[in-house]
Amino acid sequence: MSTFTGDETAPFFGFLGAAAALVFSCMGAAYGTAKSGVGVASMGVMRPELVMKSIVPVVMAGVLGIYGLIIAVIISTGINPKAKPYYLFDGYAHLSSGLACGLAGLSAGMAIGIVGDAGVRANAQQPKLFVGMILILIFAEALALYGLIVGIILSSRAAGQWRLVKH
Amino acid sequence: TYVPSPPDREVSRAPTQIRPRLPLLARTGTLRFVFSEGIAAMSSSWSRALTQISPYTFASIGIAISIGVSVLGAAWGIYITGSSLIGAAIKAPRITSKNLISVIFCEAVAIYGVIVAIILQTKLESVPSSMIYNPESLRAGYAIFASGIIVGFANLMCGLCVGIIGSSCALSDAQNSTLFVKILVIEIFGSALGLFGVIVGIIMSSQATWPAKTA
Repeated sequence: MSTFTGDETAPFFGFLGAAAALVFSCMGAAYGTAKSGVGVASMGVMRPELVMKSIVPVVMAGVLGIYGLIIAVIISTGINPKAKPYYLFDGYAHLSSGLACGLAGLSAGMAIGIVGDAGVRANAQQPKLFVGMILILIFAEALALYGLIVGIILSSRAAGQWRLVKH
Repeated sequence: TYVPSPPDREVSRAPTQIRPRLPLLARTGTLRFVFSEGIAAMSSSWSRALTQISPYTFASIGIAISIGVSVLGAAWGIYITGSSLIGAAIKAPRITSKNLISVIFCEAVAIYGVIVAIILQTKLESVPSSMIYNPESLRAGYAIFASGIIVGFANLMCGLCVGIIGSSCALSDAQNSTLFVKILVIEIFGSALGLFGVIVGIIMSSQATWPAKTA
């Protein structure tokens, strides 16, 4: 007698969604941190006083990892086949949620890295470019935010609201 | 309409029993679960494929990935940092002892992988062979697999990131020693990514509960 309700293989897709959310967001965050970090280090040789101001792209890249962490924890705590049934629909919803957040975070991290690298190097030579660099970085960060929003909407679909007809 | 899965099932490994059910599914065209005297005939070919694989396969591969890919990330980071450090220290030998901390940050990534691999292998339990394809066993196998993938690949990215920044840290420290602490702040942001992976991996490994043997 098993208290397990729902589909057997649905947790495979659900857990893989949580994995995709975190792994791809970490890829984006790592790329952003590394690329802009190299720019900061190269620039800091000539202008050491600008280094702490130029850590902004690194912080924004780190936030992408946190977005992935949020979605991964939401998905992981939503898979509980003993408490409520976990059908293939829920598994696929969680998979899509994780992929949406993760791949959006990956692309945002790539953008933040390249813009941060070029931006901090240019800021060292022309201080008026700081505000412009921040504006471009905010647009790049918004991409990851779109992924987080869509991921949260998709994983809330997996909570079982669609089942209207009981047999 | 929706037919829920039966609460108890016995496992019979006879795939030919499934095929006669397919015309019924094609005719009705709705998503319903028709159960034979053995396995529930799944409407999805993914389910038919996945239920043939033992959960221990997934669990073992997950544990292997968590340690193997984490160590790969740590090694990659260490050789990127180490080669830059040694090259930069030719003209500035004072940087070697301070910049070993970048190598230690990369090493920590490998240690995260070891810790999670040890935790995951304590989650492995043996169940009677009649219950290997129980839904709860399958879920436990998938949970360990996903946990291993999360930790392994997050640590791979973290090790690579910390390695690249560590090499820049060594190079800039060789030219201007006030930069060391400032670039170290960036390295700390990078090493947080490995911690995210470990956190989520451990949360997910708590889902790896196998069915009780007396069921």
